Amino acid sequence: MLKITPVELKTIAQYIHDISGIYLDQSKSYLFETRLSSIAEELGCTSYQALYDKARRDPGKIIERQIIDAISTNETLFFRDNGPFELLKHKILPEVIDLRAPSSPRLKTNVKIWSAASSTGQELYSVAMTIQDLLGSQMSNFNFKLLGTDISDNVVKQASYGKYNKFEIERGLPRPTLQKHFTLFGDSWKVKDELRAMVNFRKLNLMLPFAGLGKFDIILCRNVAIYFTLADRKKLFNKLADSLADDGYLIIGSTESLTGICPRFVPKRHLRAIFYQKKN
Amino acid sequence: MNNLTILVVDDDPVIRKLLEQRLIKENYEVLLAEDGYVGNDTLSKNHIDVVLTDLMMPGDIGGIEVLEYAKGLERNIEVILITAHSSVDTAVEAMKKGAADYLEKPINFTELFLRLEKIANMRSLLRSAEDLRQAMDITESTAAETIQNLEVLAGSLQSTVDSIETILTNDELVADDKVVDALDILQAIN
Repeated sequence: MLKITPVELKTIAQYIHDISGIYLDQSKSYLFETRLSSIAEELGCTSYQALYDKARRDPGKIIERQIIDAISTNETLFFRDNGPFELLKHKILPEVIDLRAPSSPRLKTNVKIWSAASSTGQELYSVAMTIQDLLGSQMSNFNFKLLGTDISDNVVKQASYGKYNKFEIERGLPRPTLQKHFTLFGDSWKVKDELRAMVNFRKLNLMLPFAGLGKFDIILCRNVAIYFTLADRKKLFNKLADSLADDGYLIIGSTESLTGICPRFVPKRHLRAIFYQKKN
Repeated sequence: MNNLTILVVDDDPVIRKLLEQRLIKENYEVLLAEDGYVGNDTLSKNHIDVVLTDLMMPGDIGGIEVLEYAKGLERNIEVILITAHSSVDTAVEAMKKGAADYLEKPINFTELFLRLEKIANMRSLLRSAEDLRQAMDITESTAAETIQNLEVLAGSLQSTVDSIETILTNDELVADDKVVDALDILQAIN
């Protein structure tokens, strides 16, 4: 495996931070090597400096995308840490549905939900399944818009396709839920059309402005800010506060905290989970 | 340390015997079945890691049916099919149905042992990934409890500080009243 020099480490770490916001610990050189050496070798680069130069000169930014795909962590699973989904089912969704009840029974209830780092889509599909299971035959009275965004093109593509292999399925999906919402597709499983129709995925770098996304009723931003510096985390949650309706709900990772990061949010506890709302 | 248990399903007694001897020599546990019926019955009653089955066997239950039965058990059983050269297309179809691999007759044992080793390696990787995930889950849930308690505590302390600030900066109150009101709020915490 191609070895990285201390000077290259500094250059590459800075570059990765610039293109993605991801902060990689420079003391962990193996992290850079295991994730980037194959890209360097494929491109015929004999050093990481050469890879960096090539990536900077690449007008189509294809190498930049490859690097982002390689360094971003896509660890995710269906219903990861059950807490937030129980929270959605028993507390947040019923409250949002009440708050957004339309003035006339002929109108539909509009609800917008955003999974800000959707990876391969398991989180957003889990939210969609929670909604379908909660509302059942009443689904037609609602207009749910679920958006998933991620910085990596590859995972956005995978999420949009909605196909999962048996290892991804085995993690977190109970058998009845699987049979209700997925169809067998060769040796893999594909999400059913009703579920797929509720969601949309697109590429978004959380470090850049969120132009044109509008306001959301519920935002999930779990286990992504942990890869950012404190300064970048502050900026991110401030922008998320701008993108959240005044009475909206924010869910972050179960081991994350907003103390000292964004005073605009107040933590609220429900059963064994926490969610955040904007301070009045 | 080949701790895989292998079920050999083949109607040819010579091939069964041969596979049994070679696999035992490589330290695999081996079970035998002379047709698809016995094969599926053995699968349902024993812990099997890998099925090595002939594709074409007399009777209604051939290699494909054994494959489907094994996959239906949801026990993470890998199936390798043994085929005559002429049935390679069927074997490829079987791969799409979840077969781990296929081998052409006559069986090349070096190839077979490589495939089995690959399966064993894959299983041990899956096992360590599962162990890591479990360790992570425990760490995560313990940390989450602590962090969430602190988060709620920090939130309530912040709101106390905010209300004390409101009192202390209230120009309508005289200094003594400010102190009394502020102390009331502080005492309410304890």
